[in-house]
Amino acid sequence: MNAARQSAVTAAAFIAGLLFFPVFGTAALLPRLGVPLALALAAAILGTRYLPSWRTLLTVLAGLVGVVQTSLGFGPPTGGTLRDLWAGATDSWRLVLQSTWPARPEPELVLFVPLLVVAATALGVELAQRSPLLALVPSFLVAVLAQCYVPTPPWPAAVAALLYAATAGVLLAAGAGLSHGAPAGSLYAAAPVTLALVATVLSGLVPAAPARYGFHGSPAPVTFARVTSPLDELAYRLAHPATEAFRVRNAAAVDRWPLVVFDAFDGIAWTSTDRYRRMGTDLPAGDAVEVRVRSRSAEIETTPAAGPWLPSQTWPARVRGVDPLVEERHGTLLLGEVGGARYTLTWWQPDVDADALGGAAVDPLAPGGTGGVGPVPPGIAELAAQAVGGLRPSLRSALALERFLRENYRVVTGANLPTGHGWPQLREFLLSSKRGTSEQFATAYVVLARILGIPARLAVGFRTPSARDPDGGYTVRNADALAWPEVAVRGVGWVPMEPGGAQVAGATLPTGGLAAATDRARTQLPAPEELSDPPAPPAAEQSTPDGAPDGRPSSPWAGVPVLLLVGLALGVPVATGVRAGVRRRRPGIRAVVGAVEEARDRLRAHGVPVSVGMTPRDLAEVAPGPPGVAEGLRRLGRVVDRSLWSGALVDDGAPEAWAAVREVRRGLARRGWRSRLRAAFRY
Amino acid sequence: MNMSTGMSSGMSAGEAAQIAARIAANVEKVVHGKAKAIRLAIAALFAEGHLLIEDVPGVGKTTLARCLARSIGGKWSRIQFTPDLLPGDITGVMVYHQREEQFAFHAGAVFANVVVADEINRGTPKTQSAMLEVMAERRVTVENFSYEVPRPFMVIATQNPIEMEGTYRLPEAQVDRFLMRLSVGYPDLDAEVRAVLADCAGATADDLQPVVDPAALREAVAAVRRSRVDPAVARYAARLAAATREHAVVRVGASVRGSIALVRTAQAFAAIDGRGYVTPDDIKDVAGPVLEHRLLLTPEAELDRRDPAEIVAGVLESTPTPLVNA
Repeated sequence: MNAARQSAVTAAAFIAGLLFFPVFGTAALLPRLGVPLALALAAAILGTRYLPSWRTLLTVLAGLVGVVQTSLGFGPPTGGTLRDLWAGATDSWRLVLQSTWPARPEPELVLFVPLLVVAATALGVELAQRSPLLALVPSFLVAVLAQCYVPTPPWPAAVAALLYAATAGVLLAAGAGLSHGAPAGSLYAAAPVTLALVATVLSGLVPAAPARYGFHGSPAPVTFARVTSPLDELAYRLAHPATEAFRVRNAAAVDRWPLVVFDAFDGIAWTSTDRYRRMGTDLPAGDAVEVRVRSRSAEIETTPAAGPWLPSQTWPARVRGVDPLVEERHGTLLLGEVGGARYTLTWWQPDVDADALGGAAVDPLAPGGTGGVGPVPPGIAELAAQAVGGLRPSLRSALALERFLRENYRVVTGANLPTGHGWPQLREFLLSSKRGTSEQFATAYVVLARILGIPARLAVGFRTPSARDPDGGYTVRNADALAWPEVAVRGVGWVPMEPGGAQVAGATLPTGGLAAATDRARTQLPAPEELSDPPAPPAAEQSTPDGAPDGRPSSPWAGVPVLLLVGLALGVPVATGVRAGVRRRRPGIRAVVGAVEEARDRLRAHGVPVSVGMTPRDLAEVAPGPPGVAEGLRRLGRVVDRSLWSGALVDDGAPEAWAAVREVRRGLARRGWRSRLRAAFRY
Repeated sequence: MNMSTGMSSGMSAGEAAQIAARIAANVEKVVHGKAKAIRLAIAALFAEGHLLIEDVPGVGKTTLARCLARSIGGKWSRIQFTPDLLPGDITGVMVYHQREEQFAFHAGAVFANVVVADEINRGTPKTQSAMLEVMAERRVTVENFSYEVPRPFMVIATQNPIEMEGTYRLPEAQVDRFLMRLSVGYPDLDAEVRAVLADCAGATADDLQPVVDPAALREAVAAVRRSRVDPAVARYAARLAAATREHAVVRVGASVRGSIALVRTAQAFAAIDGRGYVTPDDIKDVAGPVLEHRLLLTPEAELDRRDPAEIVAGVLESTPTPLVNA
C-alpha cells in the first residue's frame, strides 16, 4: 500500500513538472524529470522497507543523482556539480523568464524544474504517511507555479487534469483501503476522476479568453558598455565605403539585413524600446503575420570590428553558432559584446501575393508603429498631406508617400554628405535642400507617415550588394549601409519601403519574397492624378492586444488552474459526502461506530484538536460553540454507550446516532465563515 | 431507557444508584464542595476496595472518612496511628480469663465495617504490615485461629504527604493494596464559607445518621459486581495499564491488580450512575485515582518532578478508545 501511495505521489509530481512543457518542450523535460523521479521513487520504496528513518534523505539524494546525470551530464559529481546545482536552484527560475520560449534546455535554465519535482516527491512521500490529499499539495504547488509561468493549452491541460485526478484517486484508494476496505477505496478512487471529468466537460461550456497573466517577459540584462547608435554611424560608414562589415554565404534571396530598429522619436533623437531576451530554441513568426511563411537561412560571418548588433531579419527563427539576445518585436539580435561572430541564421519570410498587398490596410496596432514625432515644425503636416493627396492610411498611401519622396528629393553620394536626423535637419531636407542620404530619406518618411496615421518605424542595417563573391556569397561593406522605413501592413507584418529608390540602392537588388511583392505593388500604383483609396477592407475582427480574437468559440477548456480549483472546491465536499454515506450504510452497530468517526472528522476539519483517546463525551467537552455541537456529541455518546457497551440488542442506535451527527453538523454550520471555509477543504 | 440493563437478579443498578445518592447527600451535609471526591469514595465503598486519602493537613481527609463511616449503619472504628501503636492494638489479642481458665480473643479496632486509619504513615512498618495484611485477606489470624472481619469491610486511610518527620513511608507493594488514592484538595471559596458556617452551627461528622444498613450495602456491592463489562472495555483497561508499564519515565507501572481495580472501580462508577454496564468513559473517569499511586517513576523523572497524574493523562490521550466489540 505504501508503494502504491508513493508511486501516485511521484506520478503527480511528474505530471505537474510536465506542465512546464510550453517553456522547455516535452522532449527536453521527459528524461530530465523521468529519470530523477524514477530513482527517487525506488529510493522511497526501498527506504520505507529497509531504512524508514532515512527514507527522506535517500529519496532526495537519489533524485539529485538523477538530476545531475540527466541535466548536468553523465559522470561522477564534482565541486562544479554542486555549484551548478546551487546556481540552478537559485537562478534558473529567473533566467528562464528572460528567455524566449521554448527555452534552450541548458542546465542554467532548466535545472529548477527537476529540482522542484524531486523536492515535491520527497515531501509528498512523507506527507502521504499522514493524509492522502495532503501528499498532493507539493505537486499541486508545482502545477500552480507552472501555470504562473505559462497557462497550459486546453487539450494538454484537460489530459493533465485527468491524469492528476487519477493519481489522487489512487492515493485516496490506497489510504481508504487501509481502514475501510476495497469497496470504499474504489469509491474514493472514482470520485476525483469523475469530478475532473465533470469539471472538464463543464469548463468546455465556459467561454475562455486568452491568458492575460504570466511571469514571462522579463528583459535580460544588457551588460556591454555604451556603443554608438548605428544610425549615428551611418554617415561615417558611407564615408568609408570599402570597409568590410560581414560576409553572407548560402543566402536565400534577401535584399537587406537589419541591425537595429528605432521606433521612438522625440524630435531630436531616434531611440529604440528594445527589450532583449535570451534566445530559446525556436521563435515563431510574429502574431501579426497571418500569411504563409517560408523558412530561409544563411551563414553569416561578421568582422572583428562589428557588433554588438548582428545582421538579422524581421522574423528570426533560430541562431546556431552564437548565443545572442533577441528583440522579438524587431527581430534584431544582440551579441552582448563587440567582436567577430560566425553563425547560421534561420528566419521566417512571409509569402505575400502582390495583388493583395497593393490594396492591403495598415495595422495601427503594430507595436512601435505610431510612436511620437515630437513638435512638428510648420509646413511639414501640409507637405505630408500634399504627398498622398488626401488618401486615408493604407499601403497605397504609404507607396504614394514613397513615390513623392523618390520623385521630389535626391540622394547624394560622395564626400560632404549631409548628416543628422532631428527635426532641424529634416526640415532643411524636406522644405529646403531636398538632398540627403538614406538617413534623411528614411527618417523623413517615418515622420511624414506617422503624421498621416500610417504606422511606420525606422530600420538601420545593410543592403545585399549586387556583386557576388567567387564562392557565390556576398561581402557586405560600409558602402551598403542603409537606413529604411518599414510600414506595418495588416496580416503581413512590417514591409520595408524604399523612399530613396534605386538611387539609394545604387545597384540591382536581389529580389524575392516580400521585397519582390512590394516592387510589384509599387509598379501597380496608379499615377498621382488617378490615386484613390483602395476598397475598404472588411471590418477587422476585434482583436485583443495580444492578437487573440475575442468572442470566438473559446478553447473548450478553462485550463488546469480552473480544473484544479473546481476539483478542490467540489472534490473535498463530495469526497466527505461519499465517506459519510459509506459510514452510514455500514451494517448494525458499525453504523454507530461510523457516526463517531464522522463526528470526529467533522470536528477535526474545524480545527478541534482530536486525539485517539477521546470519547464522544470528551469531544463534547472540547467542542467549539455554538452549544448545539456539544449537545449533539453528548447525545451521540449516550447512543454509543447504549449500543456498544450495554450488551442489549439495540436496533435503533444507528438512526439516532446519525441524527446526533446531523445536530453536530448543524451546530458547526453556524460557526464563523473562516472556520467553515477551512473545514470545506479538509478531508 | 432501562437503567438496569445488564443486571440479572437482585438489586438493580438503579437501586444501587439511589443508595449512592443517599450516602453522598449525607456526607455533603458536612463535607462541602467535594462532590467528586465523595463520588470516588463511594465508588471505592461499592467496589469493596480500600481508600487512601492523601493531602495536606486541614482539608477534610479525616472528616470525609468519618462521614463515610457514619453514613453506613454498621460498626465503624477509628485508629489513630502513632509510633507506639502495636499490631495487637489493631488486630486484637488473646487474653487469659481466670474465671473460665482459658484464653479468649479480644477483637481489635479492625473488626468493623468501616475502619478509619488516621495518619497511617505514623505507624511503624510492623503495625502498617499488620493493617495491610488485614486489608488484603479480610481476616485476622491470632494463635492459629482465624477471625473474619465483618463484610462489607473497608479501610479508609489518611496520610500527610508533606510532613515526613516521625513517619514511615508506606511500601509501594502495600500501597498497591489500596483500590484508589484520593486527594481532597482545597475547596472553592463558597464551599469553604459553607464549611465555616456549618462548623459555627455545630454540624459535625458525629451528628450524621446512618442512611444505609450493611445488608443493603452488601447487595449494592453484589450489584456492582454484576455490571456488564464488554470485552473491548476490559481490553481498553488492560491497554491503559500496559501503557503505563511501557512508558519511558515509569520504572514500575500498574500491575494486573491495577487493571482489575480499574475495571472494578469503573463498575462501581457505572452503578452510581444507574447503569448496569461499563463504558470507556467510566474507565477514563477512574483511571487517575486508581493508577497514579501504582506508578513508580524513574529517578530521573523524580528529579524532574514529573507527576504521575500527567503520565496517566498522557496515556489516556494516546491510547485509542474502543469503538467496536473486541
